[in-house]
Amino acid sequence: MCASVGLAFVAGCTGTIGDDSGRVGSPDDPRPPGTQQSPQCKGAIEPGRSPIRRLTRLEIDNAVRDLLGDNSKPARSFVPEEESLGFDNNADALGMSGLLAEQLMEAAEKVAGTAATKLATLAPACDTAKEGEATCARRFVTTWGKRAWRRALSEQEIGELVALFEKGRADGGYAQGIALVIQRMLQSPFFMYRVEHGDPATLKDGVVQLTGYEQASRLSFLLFASTPDDALLADAESGKLATAEGIAEVARRMLKDPRAKHSIANFHAQWLELGKLETASKDPALFPDFDAALRTSMKQETETFLDSVFFQTGSFDEMLLAPYSFVDSKLAGLYGVSAPSSSGFARVALDPAQRAGILTQPSVLALHAKSNQSSPVHRGKFVRERLLCMQLPPPPNDIVIEPPDLDPGLSTRDRFKEHSVNPACTGCHKLMDPIGFGFEHYDAIGRYRTKDGKFDVDAHGEVFASTDADGTFTGGVELAKKLAKSQQVKACMVTQWFRFAYGRGEAEADQCSLQRLEEAFAKANYDVRELVVALTQTDAFRFRKAGAL
Amino acid sequence: MINRRNFLRAAGGSALALPLLNFVDRRHVSAAPTEFPKRLVLMFSPNGTIPGAWTPGGGETDFTLGSILAPLAPHRDKLLILDNVDMESAHHGPGDGHQTGMGSLWTGIELLAGTEFKGGGDSGTAGWGGGPSVDQHIAKTVGATTKFPSLELGVQVSGATVWSRMSYRAANQPVPPENDPGKAFDRVFGALGADPTGLAKLRARRQSVLDAVTKDFAGLQPKLASEDRAKVAQYADALRDIETRLDAGGLLGGACVKPSRPAISSLTDATKFPDIGRMQMDLLVMALACDLTRVGSIQWSNSVGGKVHSWLGITEGHHDLSHNGDSDAASQDKLVKINKWYAEQMAYLIAAMKKIPEGSGTMLDNTVIVWGNELGVGNRHTRRDVPFVMAGGCGGYFKTGRYLKYPAGTKHNNLLVSLCHAMGLGEQKTFGNPAYCTGPLARLTG
Repeated sequence: MCASVGLAFVAGCTGTIGDDSGRVGSPDDPRPPGTQQSPQCKGAIEPGRSPIRRLTRLEIDNAVRDLLGDNSKPARSFVPEEESLGFDNNADALGMSGLLAEQLMEAAEKVAGTAATKLATLAPACDTAKEGEATCARRFVTTWGKRAWRRALSEQEIGELVALFEKGRADGGYAQGIALVIQRMLQSPFFMYRVEHGDPATLKDGVVQLTGYEQASRLSFLLFASTPDDALLADAESGKLATAEGIAEVARRMLKDPRAKHSIANFHAQWLELGKLETASKDPALFPDFDAALRTSMKQETETFLDSVFFQTGSFDEMLLAPYSFVDSKLAGLYGVSAPSSSGFARVALDPAQRAGILTQPSVLALHAKSNQSSPVHRGKFVRERLLCMQLPPPPNDIVIEPPDLDPGLSTRDRFKEHSVNPACTGCHKLMDPIGFGFEHYDAIGRYRTKDGKFDVDAHGEVFASTDADGTFTGGVELAKKLAKSQQVKACMVTQWFRFAYGRGEAEADQCSLQRLEEAFAKANYDVRELVVALTQTDAFRFRKAGAL
Repeated sequence: MINRRNFLRAAGGSALALPLLNFVDRRHVSAAPTEFPKRLVLMFSPNGTIPGAWTPGGGETDFTLGSILAPLAPHRDKLLILDNVDMESAHHGPGDGHQTGMGSLWTGIELLAGTEFKGGGDSGTAGWGGGPSVDQHIAKTVGATTKFPSLELGVQVSGATVWSRMSYRAANQPVPPENDPGKAFDRVFGALGADPTGLAKLRARRQSVLDAVTKDFAGLQPKLASEDRAKVAQYADALRDIETRLDAGGLLGGACVKPSRPAISSLTDATKFPDIGRMQMDLLVMALACDLTRVGSIQWSNSVGGKVHSWLGITEGHHDLSHNGDSDAASQDKLVKINKWYAEQMAYLIAAMKKIPEGSGTMLDNTVIVWGNELGVGNRHTRRDVPFVMAGGCGGYFKTGRYLKYPAGTKHNNLLVSLCHAMGLGEQKTFGNPAYCTGPLARLTG
């Protein structure tokens, strides 16, 4: 089994324009997943980097829901997360702006104000009349505060928070005092950032194991996209999260919880860039049906499909090959199948000669197409980047590349012929266009077609420069089968999950963590659920470099 | 004319609270009524231009506008059209053409190396912008006392990547624009004219919370590794900035009238692009008139923006069109239309400022608007000959009404220095990477 390391770039693109011999895998080139020699992974613990992570909007909204029983999703309208490598939770990319800080402040004020109106539902039972407001406030700070900051508070912190409560109480009574504490704790860096120092008692060779609380947070944000619940905090305190076995047991328990669905769906949506559907637009004269409702249906189809596969079989093959999908009445028309009898989505069998898994779903096909036509370049690039984990550099600086004129009198394939004959284009476009041509049976919104304008569709394609998926194929279904067999594609799935789960790109130091993940994925017969559990078992997940102290 | 002395202190600030109506803002009490602040407004549109249709004919003062800039004709005497200015910094360092163009348009420095974004260049990947943008740099000084140091407003800016951020507080710290006119309104004008007692209470609560949170940072930061400390410091800085401005209010009166809250049915529907743009421009102009800020930007879409300009009868995405060849007359014609439409938007912004009298002139005279683009020519991805158009004299600093054709090799960093000088930062010797800067841009002041 092999591990992948570093952002793999396609060789022979910038450096060897027009040179067909430029192949990935030559000794000098960074290689795509699945091509690395097995490193020796029996030595010292190597966690890689653990940059501090800021909560995302989804995580803030879920935490507000879980901490305050407030479903208002205040963070949804915050400025969006800075994206990197296709994900919105990359620690290096996520920053903090004045605007976001203001939005956080106002949201904290708002949800704290709402919470003040329903304190009885949030706090451990405490009768202020009997026990006194100060006692009840201290109890609130201690218990709710632990949930909000995801760790036990120090006596000093409790004292300061109680003092702040007193200030608020003087201003507007008990509820006002509690609201001020909530507002203050939500604006704190201890809420907004996932602060980790590790357990100093475990320090060895500059590496520390995470504390139970920190481990609980990592599990919770990975699998629930939210703050740890009381059960997880109890696991943290019992020492259960100190062992890999204990963590695996908890991870399996969490995957059975409905809250895991949102987190898994979040990965799927980002992996396949489904969020971009919201702003996709098509030529209304050609595709009058492509409205907001259809775009939403397309997104829901893929989400429903992946949710179903993940939680029922977990099979990665099925994600790529399933001859069925989930359609509502809008999509039924697009697919040419009969609409489900009830409203909403229902599973339907599709023509297995026309459709296979995610690659032939309208969401993916419509996203990677132009407004008025298919786009072999974008579809090829999508497969290259999201399924094969290979990045395509754009044309180098200072080279004038004038793209060929579009001639509507030519088939799509012929319009892009320039890319395969002009040596300035070939180097890169050879890696994209021939894959994209395989999708020519699908128009700009993913409908199956046999004619491309006046021409018969020619869906012959070819994969170049992969480690084990090279060769010709015809049509999207055959491509899906080809990719499903590829180790590179499976290793890429590991890489994508790694980036999402750990909030960073993979690097040299992660070789052994990646190798363990690939081995676990293979051992589970490519059940993605087991890959997710394996993500909680690596050095990268359980340890970190000791901090500044 | 406006009587500045009758301005009302409208938001926050006064713990004494009453009698509010007679409260005179200290920042303005000593200023003669004719003294108005200088303002800087940056405007961005994507994907390059069509030089043949953009470039004016004629000479420095007898120039004739080409078809793209024709909508600016009514404001001819207020324009400075800069031809042949290179974005040299965008030809160096990591990143693809759109990335480097976007990241260095207002920063004048290469992108950082990094693995955050896939792209071209030597490293194959790129990070965020490599230094502060000129608006943010100026805002640090000019915006020190206003309610907002600067306002960044977006029009359907999609994504949050190096392709979609042009403003940077510092290297590696992109400043996001607000895309929602309703939210922008709430943020900017929400407190304006609100009940002073309520505002005073809110301010006191905020002060208590921010004081307490500041202690968290003090305890936390020394325990973090340096990279993490820098990350968390961004939040600490942002909160400190909020705290120092708790006291800053807006001024109702004169041209400053609290606008009504804009209502938009969809923020993502591409056909609402023009409406959202108008709303954002109106809000920005009023925020400037109310002296809530002196630095602002309007970002239309983003680099590589694929907006379908359907209201112009165009069905293809802007970016796709911009890739088509020079001999594709239909595409060229559509790109001219799109760029002309952006010139109309700039003309709208100019006209809105002209409607606001300030002293013997208008707000435009105290402002400089700069319209830039991440590219020169779209289909070649050039970052040389970037189409810059300026409007407004910035308090008499710029000598407007001219078309300036610069010699080959003129670098846009010099323009950024000139903007600093115009806004009162006279000590600025260079901006961005000094390797691409020789001082202020020649001929702008006469």
